[in-house]
Amino acid sequence: MLRPERMRRLFIAAPKGEIDTIIRELYRHNVYHIEDFVPESESPEELSIGHPLPGASDAASALIDVRAIEKACGIEPDNVEIREKIPASKVRAMIQTDLPAIQKTVKDLVAKRSDLESCQKKYEQRLKDLEPFAAFPLDLESYRGYSWFTVFTGHIAHDVSIDVPHEKYFSDQVDGNMIVVVVPNEHREGVERTLLDAGFQAVPVPEESGTPADNLKAHAEKVRKASEGIAQINKDIEEIRDRHTDFLVACDELLTADVERAEAPLRFATTEETFITEGWVPDDRADRIQEALKKATGDRIYIQELEIEDDARVPVEYENPTFASPTQMLIDIYARPRYSEIDPTLMVAIVFPIFFGMILGDVGYGAILLAMSLGLRKIVKGEGGRMLLKVLSYASVSSIIFGILYSEIFGSALPWPALIFSRHLNIGGAAGGHGPQVVELMIIAIWIGLLHITLGRILGIVNARKIYSGKHATQAVLSHAGWLGTMWGIMLMIWAFYAIPLMPDLTGLPVVAMGLNVAAVVGVVLLVAGILGIAQENPLELVELPTIISHVLSYARLVAVGLSSVAIAMVVNYIAIGMIIEPQLEAITPVGVIIIIVGILVLLMGHALNTALGLLGGGLHSIRLHYVEFFTKFYKGGGKKYNPFGMKPKFTEE
Amino acid sequence: MVDVGMTLEMVQASQMGMKALGAGLAVGLTGIGSGVAEMGIGAAAVGATAENRDVFGLALLLTVIPETIVIFGLVVALLLLF
Repeated sequence: MLRPERMRRLFIAAPKGEIDTIIRELYRHNVYHIEDFVPESESPEELSIGHPLPGASDAASALIDVRAIEKACGIEPDNVEIREKIPASKVRAMIQTDLPAIQKTVKDLVAKRSDLESCQKKYEQRLKDLEPFAAFPLDLESYRGYSWFTVFTGHIAHDVSIDVPHEKYFSDQVDGNMIVVVVPNEHREGVERTLLDAGFQAVPVPEESGTPADNLKAHAEKVRKASEGIAQINKDIEEIRDRHTDFLVACDELLTADVERAEAPLRFATTEETFITEGWVPDDRADRIQEALKKATGDRIYIQELEIEDDARVPVEYENPTFASPTQMLIDIYARPRYSEIDPTLMVAIVFPIFFGMILGDVGYGAILLAMSLGLRKIVKGEGGRMLLKVLSYASVSSIIFGILYSEIFGSALPWPALIFSRHLNIGGAAGGHGPQVVELMIIAIWIGLLHITLGRILGIVNARKIYSGKHATQAVLSHAGWLGTMWGIMLMIWAFYAIPLMPDLTGLPVVAMGLNVAAVVGVVLLVAGILGIAQENPLELVELPTIISHVLSYARLVAVGLSSVAIAMVVNYIAIGMIIEPQLEAITPVGVIIIIVGILVLLMGHALNTALGLLGGGLHSIRLHYVEFFTKFYKGGGKKYNPFGMKPKFTEE
Repeated sequence: MVDVGMTLEMVQASQMGMKALGAGLAVGLTGIGSGVAEMGIGAAAVGATAENRDVFGLALLLTVIPETIVIFGLVVALLLLF
């Protein structure tokens, strides 16, 4: 919680004879993050990168075969439902016996399909070439083979008259018109010029015989047969997929594991007789894997725990309560925390749904989004998508709760008045009660901003003490304190001069000097001290001072974006119900029924659009407040992802 | 100079209208402003994301920064109207 999982750095050395056992054991435990060995100029010359285990290339080529079959059949292992786990030994036996046959069938089918496809393409092209000539009752032989005559065939803008002896056919039934002109050779150039003037574009005569109409029919038949054949092959492939998916994904998994294991020595340093590897193991599992390794090798292994020197090299794994873990996805989009940094996941997991609910506080929209996120969970199979959907479902629950508090359902009021602040606008004269309390809501949003940013700065101080050391740490802490002082100093001064509802009224305090009261003087002192605090770290940062105001005011979007969503909902209700449906209900006529249906359509479309907008507005603006206003105060990010060597078998079991 | 043809109600109504105009201008002009600002950033951000998927978070963040302008506009409009 609030920190990434603690890691321990292990150094393992063992004789090469044990490399297979050790790799197998590490892979099975799936906790060891290998630090790749990179030969550097200063590393001892005896150390070199290891060689893959025997069998690596066989496993790799078998894996390529399996992946090719999967691709041909359209199988994606990530999206396959796990039906039953096949024992690894059975899969290995089947790789020897069944796989070659399946591979051959699929390969033949794919080859046949590509033949048919090229055949289909060929005849489709011929059909296209032949089509213009179908307009004329001429055999295709009669277009060629003359010594004394020239034949012009092609598209033309309009019919032309030719003033030399000739034979001519023209048709405007074809796209772009079609003309055929036969003239004696001596008039060729003149006629060609006439034709070109009329926008003539030559079309070559297909190298076929017989009438175009008959040929067209024959080609169409061939195309039909080819596409039938393709459909049949697709069906066959689908059958193979249905029958062998379980086996193929199991093969894929097993062989992937084989390849990863066999190639692991490429990440180790080796000498002639031994090998060395460095890596990271989560603190709570470090002892167990050390014991397991010692047991598996019969103590023919040397394991040492090393000091952690540089926190940028430590792989980072989140450690959060279950309800917060989907939010890690949102943090990863920004950047994974560094090892020594505070992990903000928990805070985002709590605050993000609250912000979302404040913006989209509506029982109806919340219920739609909740149903959507629960329904899509069955369809979406990817890890990231599922996590996002979980975050969305928390956000929609919060949106329903705020909907009850605001008393809103699809922009209309629930049977009770708003329990906190009302957002009911006066659209179409519909508002009851005391109308929208925009000013109060704004001030609440500003309060949230002040507190959120203060929390961010305090976390910044904590982080600065963890990441930096010595003088630099003090400077960073003072600078964060300076930002805080400046912000609250400005607030105190505002309070000293203006009485604002829902905020402390400090205007009545005794005046001390120069017309300033106590609060204003304290404010000025804080402000000046704050500016000094910022400047001592880096004077250039002073140009950022206006962001104090803009970041706090930015939280006003919690109200502004929400109000715009309420406004759209109310306008949709007013147009659909108030303007279209209700006038028709007074006296129902046949035309009126149609208008009512149109009104219902407008209502549905409007609310569908507003749901989408609410999702975008609520989600993007809430996360943006975290990314831009909150994270910039303390969060650096840039940690390496913890990627343990090993795999959790999904489709196979040992 | 006071126009004698105007009643108090008319003056109040025209003041309301002026407020509404001001609110509309505040939202509309700031909307154009953030649109113009986001145009360049968005194009560059999409390009960068296409090159390297990892910068998506940062790209999204940079793209929405000018959004603040229109939010300020909306805040001003709401304060004018209520």
